[in-house]
Amino acid sequence: MMADTNWVKFEIPSDTRNVAFARTAVALFASQLDWTLDELEDIKVAVSEAVSNSIIHGYQLGEGVVRVEASYADRKLTIVIEDYGQGIPDVELAQETGYTTIPEERMGLGFTFMHEYMDEVLVVSEVQKGTKVILIKEVPQRSEG
Amino acid sequence: MQYSFETVGQALIAKLQGELDLHTSPQFKEELAKFFTTQPQIKYLIMDVKNLQFIDSSGLGVILGRYRELEQRGGRLFFVQANPHIKRVLQMSGMQKISEFADSAADVLERAEGGHL
Ligand SMILES: Nc1ncnc2c1ncn2[C@@H]1O[C@H](COP(=O)(O)OP(=O)(O)OP(=O)(O)O)[C@@H](O)[C@H]1O
Ligand SMILES: [Mg+2]
Repeated sequence: MMADTNWVKFEIPSDTRNVAFARTAVALFASQLDWTLDELEDIKVAVSEAVSNSIIHGYQLGEGVVRVEASYADRKLTIVIEDYGQGIPDVELAQETGYTTIPEERMGLGFTFMHEYMDEVLVVSEVQKGTKVILIKEVPQRSEG
Repeated sequence: MQYSFETVGQALIAKLQGELDLHTSPQFKEELAKFFTTQPQIKYLIMDVKNLQFIDSSGLGVILGRYRELEQRGGRLFFVQANPHIKRVLQMSGMQKISEFADSAADVLERAEGGHL
């Protein structure tokens, strides 16, 4: 049988106001699947972290475009958040809990939240080119009743 | 995002409503910092998060920054009416270790008055 699929794509300027838009829009799209309210909340946090990172670190709060793409096939939701900013030299190190390049202000928890709330987090980045974060989460099989 | 502040003796009660994220946290951070500099007696920060709809690492960073200052003053941090979602992010941030939960700000104040803090 063919998979049940759908997708949505949008671009936003690197403007802090758009973080709320991005997480809400993705959650609204994702709600076509059978998540619990808690799971939708988790998805919102993960998207908020990735988009915030693009604005803060990718573009250092300056100008730029963040691309967001969400899609699903059957029960599996995939979200791609991409920027064309400064990139991450060491993606493994960046994902360690507590690692941050702005220790005076930030806690280094964004990637930890993404990992905690999604099934899979993939980070592809090239210095001076940009960063792509792929977030994957599957609707759990729920027992009847 | 809306918030209000109230000082009662050594306690600062911050009531939050809405979403605390990258966009809304800088202003909240500034206002909170103002209370700490102008009112050095503050030892207890009571965050009323009953109507806080959303928080992520940007919002948590603001609260943690204040906690470090409280710690130096020998103070404490309280969360009033935290929902399970907020409790969970606090737990993951390690902040649960350094903070306490309460049912109401009045509860915390009562304990403070009674010398039970
Ligand atoms: N899109 C990005 N472009 C460039 N660097 C990034 C990007 N995303 C993350 N980073 C780097 O990875 C580090 C860790 O990111 P993470 O979100 O875990 O923590 P943080 O953003 O520093 O702090 P917090 O998320 O707690 O506010 C960042 O400090 C930054 O150096
Ligand atoms: Mg981050």
